[in-house]
Amino acid sequence: MRTALRLLPAGLIAVIALAGPLLAPSPIDAPVAAPYALPGPGVPLGADELGRNVLSRVLAGGRELLLTSLVVACLVTVAAALLGTAAALRPALGRIVERVADVMILLPAVLAVLLVVLSWQGGGRVALVTAAVAVGLPYAIRVVCAAAAPIAGSGYVEAAVAGGERLPQLVWREVLPNLRATLLILLGLRFVAAVYVVTTAAFLELGPQPPAADWALMVRENAPGILLNPWAVVVPSLAIGVLALSVQTAAEVLAPRSGRQVVARL
Amino acid sequence: MELTRRRILATGGGLGVGLLLAACGSGPRRAAAGDGPATGPPRRGGTLRVGAVGKASAVNRDPHGVQVNDSDYLILALAHDPLTVPGHRPNVVPRLAARWESDDLRRWRFTLAEGATFHDGTPVTGADVAWSLRRLRATPAGATRLPGIDAGGIKADGRNAVILTSDYPNSEVPLLARLTTFTLKEDTTDVTRAPGTGPFRLESFRDGNARLVRNDAWYGGEPPLDAIEVRMFESPQAMTSALLTGQIDLASNVGPVAARTAEGRDGVQVIRRPHDMAMPIVMRTADGPFADERVRLALRLAVDREAMVRQVLSGYGTVANDVLGTADPAYATGLTQRARDLARAGRLLDEAGFDRRGTYELFTTEDVPGLAESATLFATQMRDAGVNVKVVKQESAVFWDRTWLKAPLYTTYWGTNDSVVFFAGKTMQSGTAHNEAAWKDEEFDRAYRKAVGATRGTGRATALRELQRVEYESSGYLLWGMADGIDLAAAGVGGLPKLPGYGRVQLERSWLSA
Amino acid sequence: MAERLTAARGPAAPPAWRAGQSSASGPSASGPSASGPSASGPSASGPSASGPSPSGFSASRPLSLLLRGAAALAQRAVLLAVLLVAVFAAMEFLPGDAARSSLDRGASAAAVAARRVELGLDQPLWNRLLRWMAGLPTGDLGVTSRGEQVAEVIGRHFPGTLLLGGLAFAVTMVAALALAVVAALRPSSALDRAISGTSTVVAALPEFVVASVLVLLFALWADLLPAVTVTAAGGGPASAAMLVLPVLSLAVPQIGWNARVARAALADECTAPHVEAAVLDGLPPRRVLLRHVLPGSLPTIAAGAATSVGMLLGGAVVVETIFNYPGVGSVLAGAVRDRDTPLVAGVVMVTSVAILAVLLAADLVRGWASVRRP
Repeated sequence: MRTALRLLPAGLIAVIALAGPLLAPSPIDAPVAAPYALPGPGVPLGADELGRNVLSRVLAGGRELLLTSLVVACLVTVAAALLGTAAALRPALGRIVERVADVMILLPAVLAVLLVVLSWQGGGRVALVTAAVAVGLPYAIRVVCAAAAPIAGSGYVEAAVAGGERLPQLVWREVLPNLRATLLILLGLRFVAAVYVVTTAAFLELGPQPPAADWALMVRENAPGILLNPWAVVVPSLAIGVLALSVQTAAEVLAPRSGRQVVARL
Repeated sequence: MELTRRRILATGGGLGVGLLLAACGSGPRRAAAGDGPATGPPRRGGTLRVGAVGKASAVNRDPHGVQVNDSDYLILALAHDPLTVPGHRPNVVPRLAARWESDDLRRWRFTLAEGATFHDGTPVTGADVAWSLRRLRATPAGATRLPGIDAGGIKADGRNAVILTSDYPNSEVPLLARLTTFTLKEDTTDVTRAPGTGPFRLESFRDGNARLVRNDAWYGGEPPLDAIEVRMFESPQAMTSALLTGQIDLASNVGPVAARTAEGRDGVQVIRRPHDMAMPIVMRTADGPFADERVRLALRLAVDREAMVRQVLSGYGTVANDVLGTADPAYATGLTQRARDLARAGRLLDEAGFDRRGTYELFTTEDVPGLAESATLFATQMRDAGVNVKVVKQESAVFWDRTWLKAPLYTTYWGTNDSVVFFAGKTMQSGTAHNEAAWKDEEFDRAYRKAVGATRGTGRATALRELQRVEYESSGYLLWGMADGIDLAAAGVGGLPKLPGYGRVQLERSWLSA
Repeated sequence: MAERLTAARGPAAPPAWRAGQSSASGPSASGPSASGPSASGPSASGPSASGPSPSGFSASRPLSLLLRGAAALAQRAVLLAVLLVAVFAAMEFLPGDAARSSLDRGASAAAVAARRVELGLDQPLWNRLLRWMAGLPTGDLGVTSRGEQVAEVIGRHFPGTLLLGGLAFAVTMVAALALAVVAALRPSSALDRAISGTSTVVAALPEFVVASVLVLLFALWADLLPAVTVTAAGGGPASAAMLVLPVLSLAVPQIGWNARVARAALADECTAPHVEAAVLDGLPPRRVLLRHVLPGSLPTIAAGAATSVGMLLGGAVVVETIFNYPGVGSVLAGAVRDRDTPLVAGVVMVTSVAILAVLLAADLVRGWASVRRP
């Protein structure tokens, strides 16, 4: 019961983000009131910079964020699972990963995303996803590698190595099946990290372009009118916060205890 | 806020305020009487803290350089004097040049103001002015700043005059001498420390922020203020917050949202300067989907101008009629005001065989408040006419590099709107390097040559009417409205500039009540 | 039962929320269960993995400590050089170029070409990079596309960011440690759960979300603090009150993150034998915590703090924009927009050096802790 309760926010925000565009009471790009109009009939959260319905835009503005973050989190987790396990089995690869991670830690993620997305003319969402994956990957690999190390050193894997199994088979058959819990937790963590990168990029106007509705972009666009209609800024802000938090909570709840302990030791 | 690009090219910016106030009845009411400007005679003394928008990375202190920042231009304009400045009526008034005359509209003689001196006390000479103008002409965009006047055509004439010789008869030379014709001492090397000739003397400068003190010896008469402190802000909203919390006394050019935020608050004046900014949509005429005149007319009929002014400018602006230079006394008021007519727009698109399945990209950038928003709403409105427009917002540098002058559909903006001829010569006649819509029209060119070659009189008036008619019918511009310039000021500030465009920097008569 | 056990151990893993925050710097890196890197894989000892591992210090003398420190420093300098090459290359791919963006709109093709020569943009990438790097040892960071010395531009703006980031860092560490200690003193209490829960919430928030809510609450509604920074003649903020909201916007997410790291590290250390011995000796809990638990968990806390530095400096780009704060963030955003490679590289270098310094400090704390303890 408590578990269900803790999963509720994540489920709710996911439903809103995914189905929101269908629930929107008016088109997201049609002006329905004066710019920054206060809440009133038909516009329960007021209007934005162009007089568009804030409620509609909030309902529509989470889907792309959610999906982009999910893609980033999945890509990072899958790549980290494969590379991290391989690194645990092959120390030379492990050292390369370490060096890359050491370089990356010197470059704040925001700067890295700024550089990649601006360099990649016309890259759009692909550029953003690439940047987000690039900044997240080295650390995710480390996590997996550390979790895989004890398994790699265990008897049955050593036996498999002695038996002449090749690296892909070792990774796929022997090590990864034992890391399910770790990976589930990692996926949740990477999702929250991705939300941070994706929303910050959108806030710096490196993400969705108008007239797209996007929570982070709404905060940016409507900030000038924060005194006229604060809801146009506050509601999308809160939505981002709730999304990040609820997924984090859900990952903790869903992960088997063993996984929680493994990640807790990293 | 990269107004400079405009500023450099656009040497102009005054208007007839009376005319314009009459023309803008639809906007929100002006500030209540209780919040009005300080009354009574100007009081001497005090330090005015002025906010202006600017980016730290773009600070430029060369008077003849690229001033991307509003704040930089404000500081330069207070410390230096151009030859002429924007005025109410006429739209060109004397500054460092007390008067000018020409017999043939080619050879122009500008006589310097009596008693004009640099801040170090030395008198300003014709040689200083000629050297400065040649320096201005030698900058990369010098040819567009002083069109038709090359370095050889700039000569000192005695101690207190300078002669500019144009390649062709041009009645607009005094207008072109507005705004960037700052004078430095001949052979100045360090322009950031060079003494100016303006009403205020630069005392200190740091990271785009400056303190200027009164020039007691200014030839234009002593300014009332002891000092002006210019503070740079990254965004208009930061500047608005600073004004509302009393950290500055004047927020220059804050935009309509700030005005609405401040309306009705005690102790804040909202100053509206109508016809401040044009944000037209440019449709490329030479080739591409908008080359057909009927398609361009269809788009002009599909836009809902009233809604654009209401939603993009919060009503702080006026509906326009596709002719640029709306604040010119010679602006054609006789042309029928275009209004939304979707049925006719649809027929025109059909006649032209316009492909309605295609998606048409509208490029924009965020240099000025409202620009990207106007593109967004325009795209939404075009959907009603069955035209699928997609907004592409670009970084400023990319926009000016790759889109401007080239794309089939993009937004542009101009901060100088008190001259029809200025736009005709700068952006529409077939010979100009900055023909934004790649428009070539022989009829228009003829009218343009007639207008600039005529002295003021009926010939000129007829030519200007003809020019505007052709522009209205077939140019590549869709000018849906004009944005008001909006400044916020604390209650005790008086004598503030009322001119649109770059007239807003004229703070030499401003004062603070006790 | 299992539920209660976990609760007693404190919160689960401090999550690796952010791209820049390695979960490898988490609580138990120095704990008994992860006492050394596994032979077959890279170490899990956090961001300083390239440096000496904690266990490697245990038998070393001060001299060897110094040598290892120097080696770590040299290694990090090499990594920095690699990063700068990457940044230079990335800027090469940016659309537009510095020549055009530093000229007037509509400048002629000839003027742009002349400007390119003037800025050295006609040279191959490697030449520019080598020339730039050759100047570094003398403090010459090159010239911006507008003709200013990069070192001068950064020298003008970086102090502001350093002040902002430094204050945020100090606030973060004090608040995070205080919260962690308070929570650890009463494990599983309502207070502990509240602190853990809240730190989870705030650590997940992007800075701009925190900033917009703070501005709304404290500046616009309550009218207690200024919402923007106005620069004084000296270049810094005109009043100290103007620092409060920017510092808090930066610090709040990091407090959340570090409080979790510290809380978990303290919980881990509580299970160490010497701590249990101290408890059995009947020492008061506060004394046990401050004298026995805290020192042991310092390396982990230092590693967490080091990762926060990158987050603070990255977040400064966003926060400085929101608050009109005079710092290097706004310069960086403009420099990327203007394709000003030397300026971008300069900012990245200074930022990286700051991060590097804190990482080395974290290494020293580890080293010191492991030398001190058997």
